[in-house]
Amino acid sequence: MRRLNAAAAAAVAIGFGLFTLVGLLSGPESGLFYALTTVLLQVAAVTAAASILIGILNLLSVHWTRLKDRRKGWGYSLLLLLSTLLVLALVALERLGVVGGSPTPSSILFESVQVSIESALAGVVFFALVYGAYRMMRRRVSGAGILFTVVLLALLLGSLPLPGLGLLASVRDWLAAVPVSAGARGILLGIALATVVTGVRVLIGQDRSYRE
Amino acid sequence: MNLANADTIGLWAGFVFTLMIFSYVLGDNILYRLAVYVFVGLAAGYIVVVTVEGVLLPWLQATMFTAEAGVGEQALGLAPFALTLLLLLKASPRLGNAGAIALAFIVGVGAAVALVGAITGTLLPLASATGGAVQLDVLNGFLLFLGVASTLVYFQYLARRDRAGAVRRSLVVRTVGALGQGVVIITLAALYAGAVLTSLTIFSERVAFILARMTGG
Repeated sequence: MRRLNAAAAAAVAIGFGLFTLVGLLSGPESGLFYALTTVLLQVAAVTAAASILIGILNLLSVHWTRLKDRRKGWGYSLLLLLSTLLVLALVALERLGVVGGSPTPSSILFESVQVSIESALAGVVFFALVYGAYRMMRRRVSGAGILFTVVLLALLLGSLPLPGLGLLASVRDWLAAVPVSAGARGILLGIALATVVTGVRVLIGQDRSYRE
Repeated sequence: MNLANADTIGLWAGFVFTLMIFSYVLGDNILYRLAVYVFVGLAAGYIVVVTVEGVLLPWLQATMFTAEAGVGEQALGLAPFALTLLLLLKASPRLGNAGAIALAFIVGVGAAVALVGAITGTLLPLASATGGAVQLDVLNGFLLFLGVASTLVYFQYLARRDRAGAVRRSLVVRTVGALGQGVVIITLAALYAGAVLTSLTIFSERVAFILARMTGG
């Protein structure tokens, strides 16, 4: 039975994968074939969305259990559950027409609290980045570390809107146009090549990690 | 409570939460953790709303809840939810194999999409742009090509075993790989500098927001 299931899973992956591949490559001109591919993609997208909901439910259930058992940090869990409930209740009341206005209370909550916390977290990253660069040079001085620091400083100083830094600005522009662009393209091409290899391995049944 | 009040409360809440997050600069503390848990809770709520209203309901309306929906449409509408239920079975040691079918479907379709996306969205455009750069500016175009090629060589780990049994890459590959390593370091430094500048900009915007709140601006 286990073997049959494994064979069925491999058949599903290879069959639907190849069907989608041919459908995407043949384009809208192929008519029904392309339409079926679009439906397959939608089914996969909706399945992924439903899986996200299950993930959120799992998060809430983990915190509910922590709260129920009064385990360490249960106060934080309570706050998390109340925050989620607040958003869901606000949106539900808005959809029912009980509360309203423009902007809606849920969007005010999003803009004022959610975006504020996100921005503040992104701002705190600044300290982590500066401290990380300092620690890197303090722990071990190597050729790679020196090159990294020199380029980092050149790019940061070259971005300053101060007079007399024209040469640094030119260096920054050249670095961005040639070596940085080359490195980024090389990394992206490497990722794409690895994606192609992995995709082909899945489609020919060589990679069957979905069985585990 | 009118909207003006809600707006003012929202701004003050933003002010308080910003200070709570910034308290992390002094070390991990209760205020920071409270703000982070609120953030995760709100994010979970918004993800649920966006997923339900943006994906699930439109799908159900387009398939199951249309006036002319037949058995086929209804079955199609239920298919993703059946697959999700199968995915849930992966957690069970006894029924986990059934979940593999749903996972295989997603992996198969995802692999095909990733394959087409990688070829048409990355490989062909970047290879053509790198080749075309030589025609636009010979020196910089050549350096760009060399940088791209050496970066790719740096990330390959094919090697031969010599007579002593040690695994070594050839001299050419090592030399080109060293150049590629330099290019990758410069790229990572540029990304780091970009992250520093972006976070500094956001940090100064937050500081300006705090000052504006404190001075009543």
